Amino acid sequence: MSEPVLSIRDLTVDARLDGETRRLIDGVSFDLGRGEILGLVGESGSGKSMICRALVRLLPSTAIAITGGSVMLGTRDLTRMDEDGMRAVRGADIGMVFQNPTSHLDPVMRIGDQISEGIRYHQGLDRREARAMAVDILRQVGFPDPHRQYDGYPHEFSGGMRQRAMIAVALACNPDILIADEPTTALDVTIQAQILKLLMDLRDRRGLSIILITHDLGIVAQTCDRIAVLRHGQLLEIGEKRQVLSAPKHPYTISLLKSHPSMPEEGGLPGLKTGTPALSVRPLLEIDDLVVRFPAPGLGLFARGKAEVAAVDGISLRVMPGETVGIVGESGSGKSTLARAILGLTPLTSGHISFDGLDLAQQRRQTLAQIRTQAAMVFQDPYNALNPRLTIGAMLAEVLHVQRKIPAGRIPARIDELLDLVGLDREFATRRPLSMSGGQCQRAGIARALAVDPKLIIADECVAALDVTIQAQIIDLFRDLKSAMNLTLLFIAHDLAIVRNLCDRVVVMYRGRIVEEGLCDDVFARPQHAYTAALIAAIPDIDPDKPLLGGLPAGASPHLLTA
Amino acid sequence: MHRYRFVLFRPLQFLPVLFGISIITFVLVRLVPGDPARVLLGARSTPTAIARIRAQYGLDEPIWLQYFYFLENLGKGEMGKSILYKIDVLKLILTRIEPTLVLVLTSVLLSILIAVPMAALAARNSGRLPDHAVRIVSTLGIGFPPFWLALMLIILFSVKLGIFPVSGYGDSLFDKAAHLVLPSLTIALSLSAVLTRSLRAAMIVELQSDLATAARARGMPENIVFWRHVLPNSLVPTINLLAVNIGWLIGGTVVVETVFAIPGMGQLLVRAIFSRDYMVVQGVAMVFACATVLVNFLADIVTVTLDPRVRL
Repeated sequence: MSEPVLSIRDLTVDARLDGETRRLIDGVSFDLGRGEILGLVGESGSGKSMICRALVRLLPSTAIAITGGSVMLGTRDLTRMDEDGMRAVRGADIGMVFQNPTSHLDPVMRIGDQISEGIRYHQGLDRREARAMAVDILRQVGFPDPHRQYDGYPHEFSGGMRQRAMIAVALACNPDILIADEPTTALDVTIQAQILKLLMDLRDRRGLSIILITHDLGIVAQTCDRIAVLRHGQLLEIGEKRQVLSAPKHPYTISLLKSHPSMPEEGGLPGLKTGTPALSVRPLLEIDDLVVRFPAPGLGLFARGKAEVAAVDGISLRVMPGETVGIVGESGSGKSTLARAILGLTPLTSGHISFDGLDLAQQRRQTLAQIRTQAAMVFQDPYNALNPRLTIGAMLAEVLHVQRKIPAGRIPARIDELLDLVGLDREFATRRPLSMSGGQCQRAGIARALAVDPKLIIADECVAALDVTIQAQIIDLFRDLKSAMNLTLLFIAHDLAIVRNLCDRVVVMYRGRIVEEGLCDDVFARPQHAYTAALIAAIPDIDPDKPLLGGLPAGASPHLLTA
Repeated sequence: MHRYRFVLFRPLQFLPVLFGISIITFVLVRLVPGDPARVLLGARSTPTAIARIRAQYGLDEPIWLQYFYFLENLGKGEMGKSILYKIDVLKLILTRIEPTLVLVLTSVLLSILIAVPMAALAARNSGRLPDHAVRIVSTLGIGFPPFWLALMLIILFSVKLGIFPVSGYGDSLFDKAAHLVLPSLTIALSLSAVLTRSLRAAMIVELQSDLATAARARGMPENIVFWRHVLPNSLVPTINLLAVNIGWLIGGTVVVETVFAIPGMGQLLVRAIFSRDYMVVQGVAMVFACATVLVNFLADIVTVTLDPRVRL
């Protein structure tokens, strides 16, 4: 490696709370080489974001401080620099890209002004020169019409374009180093691939050095030169990408690699994927030409005509008892609307949904009663989907009580059974969501769904908010439950790799329609529709030799390539 | 600029609102016990004199017919004749509207000038001494009743120091300005307290927000982060609070106008109520209603200007 642009030695960060000191970063040392992309990998709480906040000295609270070590930028030690000096460093040497562009861009300021703001302040240019420069940067990060888009506000752009704008803001002062903190976590997989390409492009064109923080090993494999693995504020392992991925030294790295869903599983799981239901059985769920429309937002009293958005636009689907069907698609493809429609939570515009032979449109009351006692949902955000005031036991008791499927005297015993089923200790019955981790909350959410004793479970992005190792555990749990209880599972996800691991059949949705459906193995091996192919190609594979968006014919689906 | 299209259409929605308000005030005023003719004639009242006055002002007609006449007059730009002042209510109101309007405007301006720096000082020193000081001052501002505050200000600035006049409303521009300082200050002290609290809370949230962190991460100094990013993002909820308060203020100047003997709408209303001067009461009520509707309309325009995401 050439001489490093940034050299971190024994960096230690402590948090002081109520007289107690907690070590958040524990003596971390690494170098960032010129033109290098270094991947900082770890799960939530590993301290990867904290390190980067410490580098630019923007720690989230005054109770958190750097207590040791050095951060050398050339000959300057950033840990010893005064605030004015740090401001100059942030404005000229190190740029930051954040996870959520929506909250990190000022919603009431034009995008271009947010870029030229830094240029004007740090380089002392006047309004017109700064604007010209900002327009140029906007063009570099892929805005097709930068002169006009300079005057746009953040909310007028898609998530992908907002992240491009965020990158443009970071590039405004021509920094040598870019710190990107989970820059693609909030984005769809195809948009993610574009943003990663952009970052690599910028590295090549401008000779940037990039620290890329991520929890996704696939992203690291695709973009980084070296990998640093963090846990509990300690650096466990650092090395060349291929070396770490193929021959990890630390047991934690090995387990992290094992939990990555893109790992092909040898021989699959017998008795699960082959569990094709008998053809004579009546389908549990039958959807016929379903359309759900919403009034288009932002139209007032005097708007002409009835503008509507079709969230679900003519979908037909049959789900057999015992089947596991994955529904994939990007945000806005109508997956969640479909789930809500099936549970009768959203009015149908036209078409039919029948559940166990009853038609939701024709016998609404009866069918709803049926659905509410035989179907249950697991939600995306485990914290928000649980009532913070109820203990897990009280929450489960409530469901059991309302469902009246077992006598009241059996409820406590049933709660224990449910906790056993989802792999939570029985003492969790007395705990509240706030004292539990995300994974534990999601297990409680699944227990609540199981309390209904349902035939059908709809899981809407139920692992999207979880760390990879926890994701893997929850997927395993679903697998166990399925085989043990003959559940029918409708599994909605934007993560294709997870669907591939869990489901028999997959349905690919795009703009409210089904563009492809079939057995998982067939669809993933031989996608028929260009959109499916693009989705699959955009998954960052953990194998660095399978390039991102590789195998996708140029211009196969132009709508995907403009975020 | 179709975000501002509501400016054209919204006034159409005002018509049914004002129509409703006019019916309600018209009926309510007539439900209050008492007879304007009797009040007007006082000791000299005889049944025939009362009947004559009632016929003269149309008070002997059925109420729906009276309302019809009221609307007919409104079409001609009149609001009926005041029993007490013997002139058309609209003309009467126009002679009294200036002091109230100027008083409300100066109080609102003054309270904004007080609230923004106070909130900024408190939010940027959150949890430290200046924050506590601002919180105490604003709690006092909300707690003290305006009439008491007015009296204290008079005692201090007029009686002891002799800087400002005790009461009344002058003739020349300078004289009027001098007379308005204490009344405006009275209103501004309590209004700014409410605004400060709301603004301070919003600023503290925005100071910790991601967009502020992002601005710091591109090397912006704390002053720019605050005034250019935090302030605009924390204004919107306070704008709406201000609009609600101005609506309340327009009717609420009565106390201050009475204490300082300012010949404004509030005073007019109080006298009209005591003498059962129906036409004046409903005229003033209509003007207050229009003003409230207008202020909220203006607040909507300001909100749309401040926050490009808002669509109305």
